[in-house]
Amino acid sequence: MMPAEFAIATEGLTKVFRNRWTGKEIRAVEGISLRVTRGATFGLLGPNGAGKTTFVKMLLSSAHPTAGRATVFGRDSREPEARRCIGYLPENHRFPTYMTGAGMLDFYGALSGMDAATRRKRIPGLLVTVGLETWGGVRLGKYSKGMLQRIGLAQALIHEPTLLILDEPSDGVDPIGRRQIRDILHTLEQKGVTIFLNSHLLAEVELFCRDVAIIHKGKVALEGTVKDLTAGSGYRVEAEKVPDQLQSQLRAQAKAVASRNGSVEFLFANREEANRAVDLLRAEQCEIETVGRTNSTLEDVFVRTVNAQ
Amino acid sequence: MLNNLRVTGALVRDTFREAFARKIFWGFAGCSTALILFFLFIMKIDVVEGAVATVSLFGKTSDTQDVARLVRQVHGGLAAFLFTAGMFLAVFASAGLIPTVFEPGRIELLLSKPVARHHILLGRYLGNLLVVAANVFYLVIAVWLIFGLKTGVWTFGFLWSSVLTVFVFAILLTVVLLIGVLWESAVVATMVTFGILILSPILAQKYTIERLLTSEWSRNVVRGLYYVLPKVFDLGNMARQIVLGDPITSWMPVWSSLLFGVVVLSGGLFAFSRRNY
Repeated sequence: MMPAEFAIATEGLTKVFRNRWTGKEIRAVEGISLRVTRGATFGLLGPNGAGKTTFVKMLLSSAHPTAGRATVFGRDSREPEARRCIGYLPENHRFPTYMTGAGMLDFYGALSGMDAATRRKRIPGLLVTVGLETWGGVRLGKYSKGMLQRIGLAQALIHEPTLLILDEPSDGVDPIGRRQIRDILHTLEQKGVTIFLNSHLLAEVELFCRDVAIIHKGKVALEGTVKDLTAGSGYRVEAEKVPDQLQSQLRAQAKAVASRNGSVEFLFANREEANRAVDLLRAEQCEIETVGRTNSTLEDVFVRTVNAQ
Repeated sequence: MLNNLRVTGALVRDTFREAFARKIFWGFAGCSTALILFFLFIMKIDVVEGAVATVSLFGKTSDTQDVARLVRQVHGGLAAFLFTAGMFLAVFASAGLIPTVFEPGRIELLLSKPVARHHILLGRYLGNLLVVAANVFYLVIAVWLIFGLKTGVWTFGFLWSSVLTVFVFAILLTVVLLIGVLWESAVVATMVTFGILILSPILAQKYTIERLLTSEWSRNVVRGLYYVLPKVFDLGNMARQIVLGDPITSWMPVWSSLLFGVVVLSGGLFAFSRRNY
């Protein structure tokens, strides 16, 4: 029994697909052990075919692990009851087009164990939350892609889950809709809902998630908080009107130098070197534009990690 | 328990909604209504002194006959129609209702709900069965009422034959379900079920076929197929016997077909529980 303080906990989770005829094996997920704490905002990243979706499917029991196990709030993920607290929005979902928005929420609400009275009470509010209050009675066949994403999110929220698993939630959504989705997720985060995001949009994950894991070729390649992973160890000093002599002097000390539109940017390995450079620049009456720590973007981290494998 | 009923209700309602949207339900209901209107307005029955009758159809009058016999003949004809054309139509029209559930993007969402896999599949199966059953009962009960009211002859055998019709469809639907799980194809499911329907009257002549075959091996194959596959033709004959009020000599077609259905349904549920989506 894994401790229930983790919303998701996996141990050596492995999935091997075997071709029925040739017997050829594809190791989609290989020994992933991951912990997602309660109330966390967790991003799962990885290039196409890395095994992200297979991993999520094993959490939801739509794919059976070849080895290892997964628990959701301490409960074996294979038990249907373990899924009662999960709200899920799959990637490339295909909602039945014969349903109306409200009808679809009612159907999935019933499957999630909600009684009719509770569903009736909750659906109008949820439609307002996702900005589809006037579309509840319209068939899903008439919805745009962005609207389908939003009604899909409402479907995932219908039974007030404590764990939300979203696979590419912003796919096909315009910037305003994207912002709206992010706001909804922020509200849920404040309520203590654990949010597990599977997305290609690194900037979105960086904006929203506290913890991330990068998986590559079925294995966890990197794991940590976004803050730690993107924090750089160097310092950046940008100044204008730097005399050539001083520029040459600082160039010799800096890790990197870049010149643009009359200003020069120096990258130093540590704070002491950056401070010394600032002293020299001030002594020469140079205009200092910025001084700060260097940061990597999540994209930099992602590319570095994937290329290093 | 209450939650299980709620989930089953939702799955059945969803199947009906899909049947409505794909015009399957309305197609069936339209055919049934056309037949009902035919018996109600076009076929005129004149009962003379409660025992003999003449039938008028498009102005042509048939010979005088025994009214009870006439009613049984019409009921028997309709039961035979339901067992042949009706069964083909039911399988053809509704075979897609189960495989559509396995479409990528739809099945993952269903499986993410706190519902056991077998429950999802059985709920859909029940929904599909009820779509067809509702139409069969609508047609049979309406025709039974029309003839009862027009002639005063109330034969309950016809009502029982409709139960047998739904039973046969339930057995054939297990094949659709198994094929649907294995191949996720409504076309393959329809073809295999049609194959069983077509083979049934052929295999029912097993004694004649056995006489024509030279090797014992081939005779065993025919015998084996007859006993293993659902006996749609024999059950159709049984329905006719029930309608005509004849005694049933053997219940073997019922229990052996039921056994086939149970085994195939279990196979479908097992395959579904093992699949990755």
